[in-house]
Amino acid sequence: MNLSVVKAYMLKEFTELLRTKMIIMVYLLPSMILLLFGYGIRMEVTHARTLVIDNDQSHFSRMLTAKFEHSKYFDTTVTQMSEAEALHRIKQAKTDIIVIIPASFEKRLLHGQKSEIGVFVDGAFPNRGMTMENYVQGVVLNAAQSVAGSLGSHGGLISINSRNLFNQAMRDENAIVPGLIGLVLLVAPAILSALMIVKEKERGTIFNFYASPLSRSEFLAAKLIPAFLLHSLNIFILFLWATEVFDVPFRGSFSLYWFAAEIYILISLSIGMLISVITSRQIVAVVLTIIITIIPGFLYSGILMPISSMAGGSYIEAHLFPVMYFNHIVYDCFLAGKGLASAKTAEYLGILILYAVILLLLGTALLKKELK
Amino acid sequence: MNRVFWVVFGKEIFGFLRSAGLVAVVLYAFTADIYIAGKGIQIKPRNVKIGYVDDTGGGISRKILSHLHRPEFLKPRRFNSQKALSRAIFNKEILVGILFDQDFEKDFRQGRKAQLNLLLDATAASQSFTTLGYLQNIVMDFSKPNFPVVIKSHKLFNQNADNHTFMALTEMLSVTTLLIVILTAVVFVREKEEGTWDIMLLMPVDPKLIILAKSLSQVMIVMAGVILALGFVIFGAFNTPMNGSFWAFILLTFFYSFSSAGIGLFVAAVSKSTMQVAQLSIIIMMPLIFLSGAWTPIYAMHPILQFLSLFSPLRYYIEGSESIFFRGTAFVDLLPYFGGVLVLGVLLYWYGFRKIGKLF
Amino acid sequence: MAGLEVRDVTVSYKKKVAIRKVSFDAKAGEIIGMIGADGAGKSSLMHAVAGVLRFEGEVSYGGRVYRSPKEAEALKTEFGLMPQGIGLVLYETLTVAEHLDFFAHIRSLRQDAAFRDYRQKLLHMAGLSDFADRQAGKLSGGMMQKLSLICTLLHRPKLLILDEPTTGVDPLSRLELWDILDSIRKEEGTIALVSTAYMQEAAKMDRILLFDEGEIIAMGTGETLIDSVREYTFEAGKCPEKSSSDTACFSFDKRSYSLDPLPSPHVEPTLEALFFVNALRKKRTLPRLEIEARESKTEIPETVMEARGLTKRFGDFTANDHIDMRLKGGEIVGLLGANGAGKTTFIKMLLGLYPIDEGGLTLLGKSIRSSDDRQALKAKIGYVSQHFALYKDMTVRENLIYFANMHRIPLSTAIKRINRYARELGFNDYMDHSPNELPLGINQRFSVAAALLHEPVVLFLDEPTSGVDTIARAQFWEMLHRLKASWGISILITTHYMSEAEYCDRVVLMRQGRKIADDTVEALYAGHPDAKNFEDIFLSYYRSET
Repeated sequence: MNLSVVKAYMLKEFTELLRTKMIIMVYLLPSMILLLFGYGIRMEVTHARTLVIDNDQSHFSRMLTAKFEHSKYFDTTVTQMSEAEALHRIKQAKTDIIVIIPASFEKRLLHGQKSEIGVFVDGAFPNRGMTMENYVQGVVLNAAQSVAGSLGSHGGLISINSRNLFNQAMRDENAIVPGLIGLVLLVAPAILSALMIVKEKERGTIFNFYASPLSRSEFLAAKLIPAFLLHSLNIFILFLWATEVFDVPFRGSFSLYWFAAEIYILISLSIGMLISVITSRQIVAVVLTIIITIIPGFLYSGILMPISSMAGGSYIEAHLFPVMYFNHIVYDCFLAGKGLASAKTAEYLGILILYAVILLLLGTALLKKELK
Repeated sequence: MNRVFWVVFGKEIFGFLRSAGLVAVVLYAFTADIYIAGKGIQIKPRNVKIGYVDDTGGGISRKILSHLHRPEFLKPRRFNSQKALSRAIFNKEILVGILFDQDFEKDFRQGRKAQLNLLLDATAASQSFTTLGYLQNIVMDFSKPNFPVVIKSHKLFNQNADNHTFMALTEMLSVTTLLIVILTAVVFVREKEEGTWDIMLLMPVDPKLIILAKSLSQVMIVMAGVILALGFVIFGAFNTPMNGSFWAFILLTFFYSFSSAGIGLFVAAVSKSTMQVAQLSIIIMMPLIFLSGAWTPIYAMHPILQFLSLFSPLRYYIEGSESIFFRGTAFVDLLPYFGGVLVLGVLLYWYGFRKIGKLF
Repeated sequence: MAGLEVRDVTVSYKKKVAIRKVSFDAKAGEIIGMIGADGAGKSSLMHAVAGVLRFEGEVSYGGRVYRSPKEAEALKTEFGLMPQGIGLVLYETLTVAEHLDFFAHIRSLRQDAAFRDYRQKLLHMAGLSDFADRQAGKLSGGMMQKLSLICTLLHRPKLLILDEPTTGVDPLSRLELWDILDSIRKEEGTIALVSTAYMQEAAKMDRILLFDEGEIIAMGTGETLIDSVREYTFEAGKCPEKSSSDTACFSFDKRSYSLDPLPSPHVEPTLEALFFVNALRKKRTLPRLEIEARESKTEIPETVMEARGLTKRFGDFTANDHIDMRLKGGEIVGLLGANGAGKTTFIKMLLGLYPIDEGGLTLLGKSIRSSDDRQALKAKIGYVSQHFALYKDMTVRENLIYFANMHRIPLSTAIKRINRYARELGFNDYMDHSPNELPLGINQRFSVAAALLHEPVVLFLDEPTSGVDTIARAQFWEMLHRLKASWGISILITTHYMSEAEYCDRVVLMRQGRKIADDTVEALYAGHPDAKNFEDIFLSYYRSET
């Protein structure tokens, strides 16, 4: 490989990226996806608009109401409105939760009789509905325990002491943002490398490569290195967004994160390169890259669903796709910090390197230096 | 309407049907894509892998574990020590670890507070969280005799928290947005790219008529796609209930399509190539989708974003559609959504119309 | 001696064979011209020889044989290829100087003093010395072609392959391109393979290969080729009316061609005769043109268009500088000028596609002040753009019906007219094809039909003949004259073929946004007694002012 040739070609690529303003997309797109999705996806529900209809107005009922009022999860309004009226408000989407405390709540409890609390949750957004239902149950459980305690009740009580590994506070940001880095670094470099090659095909400047003594590896190096360098900066930018804006802790080794990300960018660039081999129009290349990368990148990122709970086909697909391996390392770096001490992390890093090597070789082998 | 209008309208519909690739993409988006989105992602716990360490010798722990079964959970795996359990979580072999320590059974039998230790992989926050909720319920069932309180819970409109119907519907609304913007923009930009723009300008025809006919044709294509998606996927494959009025939804979609077509006109006015249309559409649409409340309830957003979301037509459209489908809201109560979509629709379409009209 | 031998080269694509078993040789310093209709296989052969396209057979260069692009790889340091298309190999956002640096680097040229001198010389010869910092996307078509050529010449190739380097390039730039080429091959002993659509250029080459349907059907010096068709070339006269359809005759550029003797005397043929004679031999004759009278009665005003001091500026650049022009009823005016002289801008301003920055315009007796003034006139104007813009997702028939509908022509009338034009303009067989499947010449004809459907009073034609083969151009001009005769239509037309200027009633010459001449062809010839053809007149105007 003749380095000065590669250097000259790269210089041309940089000049073009700058003058065509493509460079804006290189830096705008990843940060925009990270910021929008990072703020946009919330698994936990806060400030659910809750109507508590207290038909009892007793000590116990007020105790229960207070528990709702003091929770950050609920924006509680205590009213006396009728059940029908409250249900109508849910239909209008003005309320998310209704909690109905029956009239003889305290009396029945004191007599050891069963008492029924009615809960209505807006299930139109199912996840949100399910989460809200769990919150309500948690609050009632909590209240019931206090009640039981104050009544001096006996018998076994099981309390759950849960420790959330890696993410004590159960912050959504911690759970989502590292996964988004895996998504962004898969999509953006692939689009760039696909475009950089297909653009020359569409315009006709690819003839300069065909007709010159430039070798295929020199051509690919000249195309991939600029994209690689530009996106390497994104590794740091995305890291800063994650730690500074989203306050995601970083417990692991930065050099491991950096190294794995660079390998991952190489994989992404190679995917773009493979796409550019089969397409000849820029718009097709972009759409194809998005379909090939975004959907699996999202599904197999572990953001929406842990790989381990996938069934059959998708479990295998997830293992065939590089996102899972990279995300394991990223989550480890941000949240767990075990680094290469964990055999699995080392193994996954190895798989990523293997991936990069295979894809690069494949791309070089498939790229033809002649007209179709 | 006059002849030229229908000629332009017909030409665009015809041109669309002619391009096999475009038809394939639109068909795919409105059927398979929605189906995959609905079918594929299930946020309810499924096949959750559980591990446990049991130092009690069985009894209560067995009973608790026996409640964890398919399809939500795989058969719990036993580990010998807490260390082994933790390692398994680190390596993502299991998602949840339960620790029954030596005192657990004793405390429970003696009526003391028994403590169940739980280790959750919080990197998969949603799954861990719902699993925790499940466990809470199970545990509460055990303690029920001691709690005289029963929670009678109803998840209105979607009692089983069936995620398929919801995801499919949301995907359909997103696809509608995406396609109407891009298709409308491309109909105009393709004329610029292929050089037929000048020819179009020289026709002795009122430009307003051309713009209107062209955008209406794309609105109708997307409407046809929506009906297809409703028939085959939303009602067909997923049996989504329709609690409200079908026609209210169609009308809402129609108004919404015009507001998105307005965005498409704007994109077409400022783009020179299909490439730019793609870039610009992504940049404009991502904040729109983000501000729609599809992912985060609007009341949980930052106040500034809450305010901004008032200007996202998608917000009214998604809320309105969810209300029609799931909540079965009466027409009178839908008026705010219609109002929002209509006002923003008129404004956006008027703006886009003027913007592209200047090029004529 | 480094010679080129091409032996039995065949190039085939999925559906068709582009070049079938072609063989030829070339010696060092020789320029081989390649001519033939579009799709005859010239480009495919050039790509195969350049080692960028798979082929069967073998090529040997300087004694080294290659049978595939891979085997040609080692020789590419000595090859230079300039593919077809204006500015095709240029990067729009790079400047002229950056292009030269880039090509020098990817060819690993040593940038010593000798190289810098050579680079300067090339820049100077191409007239680009003053534009070193201008981005390629902002150059005119002719400049782009010259830049492409010097980029191809930078590494002093020994085998130069140029595919239509002059199509769409104005006469002056064409001459300059040839000067560069000629001096390089003398100095370097370069073999050059050059395809062209301009026969005057082909005549200057050492040897000419005539391509037809994937084969070389004639080969030799320009003189031998011309000798071969001398007996079929006659002074222009009316082709005799024939009863049987298998014999026919063509008339173009002051000459008539026929396999059977014509009553008029023989004249000296040009290379264009090759095409006509070949078409006659292969019985590829075109239907006779007949333009019927207008269906609607139309008043032809005495002055169709009058421009007074029309000016158009793009930023600092003045594209049209106070242009006055008058187009009378039933007049054909040719608008000539170098690339970037402002011809297209002027036509677009007349049509209202660009706003007028300064000056006054009267169209069909109506003074144009706003776009509303134009609305009513649109029905009387026909326009064919440089690219024959038609909708590619509709067939020819559907396109025409669409245009008719847009003009609110009643459907039955429209279908009648469309069928008539299809017959008269000879695209009847292509009615159910999509425009992008058809040769340029056919597209051009039905673009014209689309512009004629509403029977306009005036026709604006922007380079309707660039890249169109000789026979199609002949047919096209025949049609314009018949239109003028039977409809009294006025036509404003731009072209880079100087011989076509002679078909115009009047010629307007533009240079750098200004009008420099406006007169009848006869008067212009009278003013330039030394001129052998119109190209000489054109060049004398351009040279006198530089």
